[in-house]
Amino acid sequence: MKRILVVDDEPDMVNVIKLRLEANKYEVLVASDGPEGLNIARIQRPDLIILDIMLPKMDGFKVSRMLKYDERFKNIPIIMFSAKVQSSDIERGREMGADAYITKPFKAEDLLAKIRELLDAKEKRSA
Amino acid sequence: MSQDILLIWDIKNKFYSAILVRYATVAVIALLFAIGYFLRMDIRPGMNLLIFVTAYNLAAHLIYILKKKFELWQIMALNIIFLFFDVCAVTLLIYFTGWVESPYWFLYLILILVSGFGMFSYYSLSVFIIAFFSALFYLGLLLAFYLGYLPIYQTDLKLTPQEILISITNKSLFITLSFLIFAVTIYYFSKLLKQHRQALLKKNRELLEMLEEMKDINRLKDEFVANASHELRTPLSLIRENVSLVEDGIAGGIGEKQRKLLTSSRENIDRLVNILTNLLDLSRIENRSFALDLQKVDIGKIGERALTDMEIKAKNKNIKMTNKMGKGLTTWVDPEQIYRVFIILLDNAIKFTNENGEVEVGTEDLGEWIRCYVRDNGMGIEAKAIPRIFMRFVKFDETSKGTGLGLAICRGIVEMHGGEIRAESEPEKGSNFFFILPKGEKR
Repeated sequence: MKRILVVDDEPDMVNVIKLRLEANKYEVLVASDGPEGLNIARIQRPDLIILDIMLPKMDGFKVSRMLKYDERFKNIPIIMFSAKVQSSDIERGREMGADAYITKPFKAEDLLAKIRELLDAKEKRSA
Repeated sequence: MSQDILLIWDIKNKFYSAILVRYATVAVIALLFAIGYFLRMDIRPGMNLLIFVTAYNLAAHLIYILKKKFELWQIMALNIIFLFFDVCAVTLLIYFTGWVESPYWFLYLILILVSGFGMFSYYSLSVFIIAFFSALFYLGLLLAFYLGYLPIYQTDLKLTPQEILISITNKSLFITLSFLIFAVTIYYFSKLLKQHRQALLKKNRELLEMLEEMKDINRLKDEFVANASHELRTPLSLIRENVSLVEDGIAGGIGEKQRKLLTSSRENIDRLVNILTNLLDLSRIENRSFALDLQKVDIGKIGERALTDMEIKAKNKNIKMTNKMGKGLTTWVDPEQIYRVFIILLDNAIKFTNENGEVEVGTEDLGEWIRCYVRDNGMGIEAKAIPRIFMRFVKFDETSKGTGLGLAICRGIVEMHGGEIRAESEPEKGSNFFFILPKGEKR
């Protein structure tokens, strides 16, 4: 079973994503702030990370950069996830290594499709 | 403060006009001297004087060019100094060209006229200052001669004191009175002009202030729309996901009745999200903070995708969709945004066409441009309404569903691509919406 890490400080949001992902046969790890997300990502090595931008202590851009610029973790796909829709934020997300950007409000189908796409691509790369 | 800047700017312009007038006058007099030269007249002192005038005029010109910023008193002082030079120069010219018989006293009149156009901030008064100096210098010249301090320049003319006195009295009286009448006339005209100008300036300032205010209000409104729709996104997202989770049975089993209600809820949330997204996008388009993801793509393919996606909607009203997409028309666009334009136009066409109607979508090659159109034989739009339909919040008719944002977004997207969108329509016969996109390299 693929493991997905969800980093978001809004418990309700984590909850709905978790329910949706579990219903689609993913194992879900949860973190509620930047450093915690980074820790879990490093120790548990999830298959994919869904990362909110506005996080306490350390924002999503920074978390993404710390992982993507590290040889050991740069293969983990990251989906940036935010209510921010300014093109500058999307641009910045890309610079910080995010593989995809999904804006709130999101459609579950879109999120699932993106997850599948990124996981498939990752498998192809490692195969 | 701003009034001062305007005034300085104004007087500075006058200063420059005076420089130009001086050049022109020198040129005209030089021409007269040239004629005099052929008539074997002695023009050397006059020419020297002209060179002197040209020299200080060049100095004034240089000051004007080099010194960008003036204080009010500086520019006024410069005006006074150079006008004073002019009065001296004219007096000397009169002395060199035949004293009381010299025709050049008219140059005093030009000086009075020029000063009347506002060389100082109290420009009406400057007329009298220059008229006073002119008369003073001229009378001084005549008197100096009468009292024997000055000989008449290069003439052997011998006059009796009686003749000199008559000549001086007549001439000086005539000229001084002319100056006075002239000065009074110019004074009243310039005063009148000043009043009009001030009224205009005041109106102008009021308008500028109003414009600034409107800009401020507009900016605040844009910020409000952007912030509000941003803040609404997270809660809306949660509501949608919760409903969707229950609807899909992930949170436990539900019956058919509940599912129907939840589906309706979710669809309406989606509508709300759509409106919000449109509002936010429109404000970003207008703030120019909307970034296009440009790719070189076949426009026909985008149109075809939109057509396929709208087919079900058309089938529900039994509307015949015709595909006239050209092949291989590629250019740099953001495919998602152009797709959106097609969807909005098709959605409108289907919405405003009766059952069994027809909708045609196509592209045409115009050489430098690609033209895309969506044509229907629906209810159409009245001619006088057409110019307004691309404005935001303007709907085809008050009863129609929707927010009136669709066409405004279309226009924004097409214009961001450097294109244009138009509509042609006739009531009851149908509408033709078309937009053009530039071909060529990525801009």
